Amino acid sequence: MEPMDIVGKTKEDASLPKATMTKIIKEMLPPDVRVARDAQDLLIECCVEFINLISSESNEVCSKEEKKTIAPEHVLKALEVLGFGEYMEDVYAAYEQHRLETMDSLKGAKWSNVAEMTEEEALAEQQRMFAEARARMNGGVTTPKQTDPEATVAKQLEPEPSMNS
Amino acid sequence: MRQAGVYSGIASGGISGRTGPHSLPLARIKKIMKNSNDDVKMISGEAPIVFSKACELFIEQLTKRSWAVALQAKRRTLRKDDIASAIIATDLFDFLLNLVSDSTGHEDDCHEAISK
Repeated sequence: MEPMDIVGKTKEDASLPKATMTKIIKEMLPPDVRVARDAQDLLIECCVEFINLISSESNEVCSKEEKKTIAPEHVLKALEVLGFGEYMEDVYAAYEQHRLETMDSLKGAKWSNVAEMTEEEALAEQQRMFAEARARMNGGVTTPKQTDPEATVAKQLEPEPSMNS
Repeated sequence: MRQAGVYSGIASGGISGRTGPHSLPLARIKKIMKNSNDDVKMISGEAPIVFSKACELFIEQLTKRSWAVALQAKRRTLRKDDIASAIIATDLFDFLLNLVSDSTGHEDDCHEAISK
């Protein structure tokens, strides 16, 4: 039993940190725009509700696949089912990016090859994983798509003259 | 050899279009996920990361739509009723209607008025 369980948590307990949320919201708006305090609170509530919604659906997707752990694929499917399919591309790109970062920092053992990749190789690896994932998502139909997130990634990587392998 | 600046720039600036480094705390997201369902399964370590990104996109969409409402009213301050209007006007945000029905006070009319 975790210490937290003893403290009689209600479902109202967990919310998102207001300071972080405020910064994120402000970054999305022009600099001179102000956000009323109750508007900020409502946005936070909406975000929590969003997490609840996607969580419940992810749970369902996971159950239907007879798995015991909610995995990123279940979340992606949930987003699609609930009408947030347009998020899937960016969400998956961010997930793969994080995986790349995680692999890169594991310099020992079986990840040593990955850690020595140049950024070009890492990008190629990323694109390969994208293609594989799309194949999984599309049921085996792979289309080599050049979408904005990948193009932007390529652009971001190019102008870094100081990088050397 | 890892250039943290490059990667974090891609992760936040390149993909979502945001330039800031702020992202939502994964532990908190995981807590909310566990609260959402009594029968919740185990959550993989990577799931909150996916949620974090999805939340950002969601907030962005809701914020920008709310902002469009405020702009129409020629205001530079985003108000709670702007967000309520955006929620009511967007089918995708129907799940949020119960959060705003208190403030609008006429949710029945709105439901009838909503058309595809």
